[in-house]
Amino acid sequence: MHERLSFHIKRDSVIHKLNPLTKLTLILALILISFTSPWYWTPHVVLLLAVIPLSGLGRVFPEFFKAATRLILPAAGFLFLMQAFFQPIGEEVIFKFYFLDITQESLMFAFRNAMRVFVMISAFTLFLLTTHPSELMSDLTRRGLPGQFAYVIISTLQILPQMQAKAQTIIAAQRSRGLDTESTFLKRAGSVLPLVGPLVFGSLVEVEERAIAIEARGFTSKNSKTSLHEIPDPSFEKTIRWALLMLVILSIAANLWLS
Amino acid sequence: MKIEIQDLRFIYPTGLEALKGISLTIEAGEQVAIVGQNGAGKTTLVRHFNGLLQPASGSVLIGDWDVKKYSVAKLASRVGYVFQNPDEQLFSRDVLTEVTFGPKNLKYAKEKIDELVKRALSLTELTDKTETNPYDLSPTWRKMVALASIIAMDTPIVIFDEPTTGQDAVNVARIANVIAELRKEGKTVITITHDIDFCAENFERVIALSKGQVLLDGPAREILGQEEILAQTYVDPPQLTRLGKRLGLKETVRNQEEFLNSL
Ligand SMILES: Nc1ncnc2c1ncn2[C@@H]1O[C@H](COP(=O)(O)OP(=O)(O)O)[C@@H](O)[C@H]1O
Ligand SMILES: [Mg+2]
Repeated sequence: MHERLSFHIKRDSVIHKLNPLTKLTLILALILISFTSPWYWTPHVVLLLAVIPLSGLGRVFPEFFKAATRLILPAAGFLFLMQAFFQPIGEEVIFKFYFLDITQESLMFAFRNAMRVFVMISAFTLFLLTTHPSELMSDLTRRGLPGQFAYVIISTLQILPQMQAKAQTIIAAQRSRGLDTESTFLKRAGSVLPLVGPLVFGSLVEVEERAIAIEARGFTSKNSKTSLHEIPDPSFEKTIRWALLMLVILSIAANLWLS
Repeated sequence: MKIEIQDLRFIYPTGLEALKGISLTIEAGEQVAIVGQNGAGKTTLVRHFNGLLQPASGSVLIGDWDVKKYSVAKLASRVGYVFQNPDEQLFSRDVLTEVTFGPKNLKYAKEKIDELVKRALSLTELTDKTETNPYDLSPTWRKMVALASIIAMDTPIVIFDEPTTGQDAVNVARIANVIAELRKEGKTVITITHDIDFCAENFERVIALSKGQVLLDGPAREILGQEEILAQTYVDPPQLTRLGKRLGLKETVRNQEEFLNSL
């Protein structure tokens, strides 16, 4: 079986070719600026003028769009509703829903926060789509990140796609033995139940196998390790990273200055 | 139950055309072995029989059912499919639950379920292991659990995907025994195998696939004699067959008995 062990999509693009650290700096900068910039429309502009065009540049727009509409939009939408209803700010009520008041201020506040979260998740999605996890980890460990940290990060990154792949094989096995998973919603919800046990159990077995496998390759060995893959890091990327850092500092400074 | 495949094509999302126009008819009660190199498309082909994969074009008929019109769960009442890797197939807490899962879904009467499960367990010699968690069993026994959980469904068509790969001689004999038993009951048995001796000893008809197409199809005796063509899909005839050929025997021999008889 061809299991997908990460969200990464292998394509030939400028974004794919960037050094992983540059990409990480880029998306962290975009997120930090969205959260700290004092200008109200920053997160909206970052999304429209940076994150979405970057997904096109990285040639992953269709996948990015799918994740954005199916996953991120509902999450951000939920956040928006919660904050719009339960944020006790502003005077002028523009909309009443039973005992809940919505004011112009709470609406604006909720919209920006939802947008910030949207930028955060979508930027990370973009990063995961264009970066192979093992490339990221080789690069970070080469720069001095301890292996244990790398392991924790990489297994976190992989847990979702792994669970997804595992769930799919189990569903295939159960349907092959007559379990009807395609009919009504209720039935479908009910058929998730027989899935939970094997999913959790199977994942635990996998963790053990993986621990044995990496130990067999000298994971805790004190000697310095060599890498089969050279990950290029041209000097102009260093300049980009510094520039991004400056932008973040500017944004934070502006925030402090104006508040 | 008859299987009719018409010009079947299949393309994976990666763009790889795994089946390039396959047409076959498998009659009710036939015992068929499918051979061919890794990646020839054997698994892809049989996954169409129970609807796990849908044809890109062409058609597959299971009896009078077009697989495009029936769900996997429905097709499960006609086609039992033993996965290549038991770890992808087993998910229950203990062997008994695992084996009961299929027949229960098919909504047989309680007595029939009990009877089918009992028979499946005894055929696979698992009767004393019903309470064990499948993951605590050795891989060879896990394979038997996978077999038992499918034959307990009592489907007219049973598919085994590489049942003997990685199994010891004792278990291979057990699997051959299960297949012989299914044959007696008049079931259609389709087995994918790399084990050419196993193929020669247990099957009447052999289909050789290569790169998504049918390379050879016919009685085992004829097919196993075609050394040169089989080599195209990296299949070697059984040693005795090759030895017989080198000795200049007139008939193609498949097993010890035939070999000794023609000497
Ligand atoms: N899920 C999948 N996604 C993409 N390609 C696949 C997938 N499964 C199999 N393939 C490819 O399809 C071809 C046929 O595979 P398969 O039917 O598994 O071969 P076989 O069972 O004969 O070894 C191979 O080239 C294989 O790499
Ligand atoms: Mg296969």
